[in-house]
Amino acid sequence: MKRLYVIEDLCNGCRLCQTFCSSLAEGVFSAEGRIRVLKPSGEAQDIPILDCDGRCLRPLFDAQTPTCVSVCPTGALLYEEAAAAAERRLLLAEARRRHSLFKVVAPWKWPFAWQGMPPQKGETP
Amino acid sequence: MRTRAAAEQTILRVNLSNGTMRREPLPAEWTRQYLGARGMHSRLLFNEIPPHADPLGEENILYFGAGPLDGLPVGNGRMSVACKSPRGTVAEGSFGGFFGPEMRRAGVDYIALHGKADRPVYLYICDEHAELRDASHLWGLTTDQTDDALRRELPDADVQLRYIGPAGENGVHASVILGNRNNSGGRAGCGEVMGSKKLKAIAVRGTGGIGVADYPAFVQAYQTYRQRLDLATSRDAWTPVWSTYGAPVLARLFAEQGNLMTRNAQQMHWESDKAVRISAEAYLDRYVTKAKACFSCPWPACQKLHTIPDGEYAGWQGGNYWAGQPVVFGSLLDIDDLDFVLALSILCNRYGLDIFHVGFTLAWAMECYEKGILTRADTDGLELTFGCRDRQGLLELVRKIALRQGFGALLALGCSRAARQVGKGSERFCLAVKDQELEAIAQRSFYMVALGVAVSEVGPDHTRWYPPYPCNPNLLPPEELAALGIHLDLKKAFEGRNPEEKGKLLRWFSISRAVVESLPGCVFLVRDTLGLDMRPWWQMFRAATGMEVDYFEFLKAGERVINLERAFNVREGFRRADDHPPYRMANEDVPVFGFRRLSPDIFDPMLDEYYDAMGWSLTTSIPRAQTLQALGLADVAAALQACGVEVEA
Repeated sequence: MKRLYVIEDLCNGCRLCQTFCSSLAEGVFSAEGRIRVLKPSGEAQDIPILDCDGRCLRPLFDAQTPTCVSVCPTGALLYEEAAAAAERRLLLAEARRRHSLFKVVAPWKWPFAWQGMPPQKGETP
Repeated sequence: MRTRAAAEQTILRVNLSNGTMRREPLPAEWTRQYLGARGMHSRLLFNEIPPHADPLGEENILYFGAGPLDGLPVGNGRMSVACKSPRGTVAEGSFGGFFGPEMRRAGVDYIALHGKADRPVYLYICDEHAELRDASHLWGLTTDQTDDALRRELPDADVQLRYIGPAGENGVHASVILGNRNNSGGRAGCGEVMGSKKLKAIAVRGTGGIGVADYPAFVQAYQTYRQRLDLATSRDAWTPVWSTYGAPVLARLFAEQGNLMTRNAQQMHWESDKAVRISAEAYLDRYVTKAKACFSCPWPACQKLHTIPDGEYAGWQGGNYWAGQPVVFGSLLDIDDLDFVLALSILCNRYGLDIFHVGFTLAWAMECYEKGILTRADTDGLELTFGCRDRQGLLELVRKIALRQGFGALLALGCSRAARQVGKGSERFCLAVKDQELEAIAQRSFYMVALGVAVSEVGPDHTRWYPPYPCNPNLLPPEELAALGIHLDLKKAFEGRNPEEKGKLLRWFSISRAVVESLPGCVFLVRDTLGLDMRPWWQMFRAATGMEVDYFEFLKAGERVINLERAFNVREGFRRADDHPPYRMANEDVPVFGFRRLSPDIFDPMLDEYYDAMGWSLTTSIPRAQTLQALGLADVAAALQACGVEVEA
């Protein structure tokens, strides 16, 4: 069964998920989403907290994808089967070993080919 | 939960002199005419600040303002801060972060700060509640200490803050206001004015919601906007680069093209190995710990948090590396150590200093030192050469600027006023217009930049028009461009060193940016065609506010804003003679590349074309009566005439 997963260290704290989620019931944008991004220490941390099984009230942009996942810019939110979510995690870990770009964005959000790039310095091919 | 309509705009007026406050709605018609944020501020500034008011006196008013799209997922948390600049012009700047939406949720769209407090205070707003609180314990703290102290004092983690550092308190030229630790704004002197009012900080918390008039239409317009900005679907090569690496990629590109100001712009090229050492790639590899974003930004990592991992500044934390730092602390000072560049930038943020002021003023002082105009006796013993070897000494000097001590007190004046004080020909290497330091983009190779910098009402500021990488007009067929009201010879307009069509191009860009900043939206998020084809912005504005407004009427708001800002400056005595490039750009050719100086035969026709396109007098730059009339600003013409300004028909 598909459910929502969060990759916390990809979250940039923009709160698009929370803002859109809050609007789905009545068209009012606020901070009252079923997903919330906590910022307990000002700007140093962004912690997304879910209170939702992923059956979206109103998938605005794609019928199969919850609104929060559609609007997430970094790829920090996933709506997947458990095995597929695990694969995404491994892909991210591998991408991060290869390029520092993936500190800030998920490889599945990056539009250009990145796999098969030449090995990094000190890495044996 | 309390819900407000997106079109509603309320102002909270705070009199700091006697502590009284009142909330009042702004005229509904103003939302149509000026949209909000920067636009609304242009009207408020013109109406409410008396002519020739003392910028640091009781009559000056400091405004903080959100706009109709703030709090919605397109406002990007942008907000505007405005006042009369201590240099006499309009001072207006834009912030990112989360403060704007929080103001909207608290039911306050604008805050006007009148008068002056007699002791340090901060303003706390929580929904309907607002109070002035004592800030004596915060006075003198750096911005990061202020952020920590206020977060301890105010119970809610979501409270949003704006504050000044010691630079603003001490009245340093071009000090800025900060918030969310690393977002700053108002470099035309807003920090200085906030300090003069003894207002250390504003804290706001709101729990309401914002309703849009037509939700399905809003979501549909959002989808178009999002498609143009999404990494996968944007038709703009800058989108993926800027949204991850960020704007500092430019320094490396410019270094070899004769476009990078080096050693106080004595040269316009830099050794490429130096440029590589301070590049965006080096930054991302070594320092970045986390992606950050302003409220509801569609881009993954325009901002970042960074930590210097080891070395002399090990553990220093900060955020954001824009196109500015690699120039003002890198090539301009000939420093190619990214640790040190970031340390300087972190220090500026902590003290509430503007990086452009500090960078250009230091570069000016270094050139004076190398040419013997300033000596060790003037610099408190610091060997102030380009590529400064005495790093500790330079950091100490930045601190002294913020505290106005020793040699720092001279540099705290900004390079124009410092040059006037020092004399001996040092005015020739002061890179400033209207007493405000330049920003990071070359002028002798990008004529539109030269023109934009010269005419900008707030002094040099690249967010007033498009830096040399605007939207690509080839994405739209010529007939569609014409239908959107853009009539330009594109080939000529986009040639960097061709003076033709620059005035018309700048007019379009200034208007489109004024519209975006008034909605408000982010001026970075105009990639793809969003700066040329403003229809997605227009559709979102209509759907959110429910106002029926014609596309061209909507664009007129931008033109009104620029005319009002120009009228404010005109009333303060600024004329055509104040719109000029800095001495060096107008009198020296670019070495090696041979790009010509901006002599009058190049510059004056561009200026004429711009004034003509704007409908302003060619001799004085004063908006003509018929221009103001057509924009519905007849009262502005009358107000100017009442002050003895001759307005041409």
